[in-house]
Amino acid sequence: MALANDKAILYDSTLCTACRGCQAACKEWNEDDEGPGVKTENTGYYTNPPDLGPKTWLTMLFNEVETNGQVKWLFSRRSCMHCTDAGCVKVCPTHALYHHELGFVSYNKSVCTGCQYCVDACPFNVPRYTRNAATGIALMDKCTFCTTPGLNRVDEGWEPACVKACPPKALKYGNWGDMVAQGKSQVEFAKNRGHSDAYLYGETEVQGTHVLYVLDAAPEIYGLPSNPQVSAATIAWKDVIQPLGWTVGGLTILGLGLNYLVARANIIREKEKENAPRS
Amino acid sequence: MPQEVERYKKQTRILHWVHSGAFLTLFLTGLILFLPTPVSLLAVGSWTRLIHRIAAAVFIVAPAIYIPMNWKSTLHGIKEAFNWGADDIAWLQAAPRYYFLGDEKTMPPQPHMNTGQKMWWLMVIVFGVLFVITGVIMWAFKTTAPTALIQWSIFIHDIAFIATGAMLFVHIYLGVLHPLMVGAWGSMARGKVSAEYAKSHHGKWYEEIAKGKEAGK
Repeated sequence: MALANDKAILYDSTLCTACRGCQAACKEWNEDDEGPGVKTENTGYYTNPPDLGPKTWLTMLFNEVETNGQVKWLFSRRSCMHCTDAGCVKVCPTHALYHHELGFVSYNKSVCTGCQYCVDACPFNVPRYTRNAATGIALMDKCTFCTTPGLNRVDEGWEPACVKACPPKALKYGNWGDMVAQGKSQVEFAKNRGHSDAYLYGETEVQGTHVLYVLDAAPEIYGLPSNPQVSAATIAWKDVIQPLGWTVGGLTILGLGLNYLVARANIIREKEKENAPRS
Repeated sequence: MPQEVERYKKQTRILHWVHSGAFLTLFLTGLILFLPTPVSLLAVGSWTRLIHRIAAAVFIVAPAIYIPMNWKSTLHGIKEAFNWGADDIAWLQAAPRYYFLGDEKTMPPQPHMNTGQKMWWLMVIVFGVLFVITGVIMWAFKTTAPTALIQWSIFIHDIAFIATGAMLFVHIYLGVLHPLMVGAWGSMARGKVSAEYAKSHHGKWYEEIAKGKEAGK
């Protein structure tokens, strides 16, 4: 489980105005606002960029929902959830993805091999990458919780850039335990204001996410799974087959070494017998 | 000069060495992703994955060239891999005493391939096909295939890797190091083994070719 002293971000959809200040601040602080793949275009939707990308670690979703003939916007902050039971960390071969001592999932881009295992292992479909289709040379990117080397805010004791930018204080930052408590009180506040379905998302999901959500409708409407889990294939691969592989490989080499010693000793013995003078 | 018999023809030997070179490259560039840091850092920048793809192309193309050129021996070889009988059980029972103690008494005479070789050959065929199918899925359909398909492809690729990797050690050991397998290396390097070796290691096969020669006379 996530620890009370971990750091966490609390996002309240009922307070969010979808100004996209967090989105812009994220790009600006993390230097994702320049170079190829950054320019956006109007696709007819408010959600823009329409999806996460190697240079878009956070994007605001404008979910349009119709209830009782009334159209409602249900905004959501789409980015890495910073799971405690993180599929990406489990499958990363070089620990490029790792749990920061403060609980969230940091990313050391300089040791990414581009294997993209994390892309398939993530229950929230967050990691994005650039990839050459022919050679397969790839590089992953995602939100680092503002701990990118050289651009590290959190280790300086500052809040992440998205939180800093948020005008209506729909984003808050603090200890995980405090954010859970704060989230619960904001759920009550939202309910009193007419958001009767409000609830807190992320307290128990994947052993506690380090981005907690106050939501007002089913998770799926916000693009979140209702029961996020590290997949059976990831567990079967990493926790069963891989240890088995080391065992099989180790025992094989051990067995061959043993065979060599026994077989050789035996042949030497046979030869000595042959060469021994007959009495 | 001692009498020699041909065991593997030239094209088969070329396929063996090209394919084993490709497999060894694939094995090492794949293994890197499972080794602890700092060794796994060799994969940073995707270069080992590029080499893995080049070797994979050789791994697929080499048999694809060999098979249409050698329909007869291909079919014969596949039949050989799937032909299992009572002698194989007897071999398995006799194998520990034979390979550890050199005791041949209970070892039944073997055809062209003994049970152990056949096991490896069968694994090469089955896991080779699985390697190629799951590999092509990961290479070409990474962005379009459903996530679960990619993940289970990785899983099956890994099982094939473990099974063939472990057997590769056994194969190299028996071909190069085991004190009794003195003719194995020559059979794949030069294509020939001494009649003596053929008689003692592949008795059934030796009888067949001896008969064939007489009939040919």
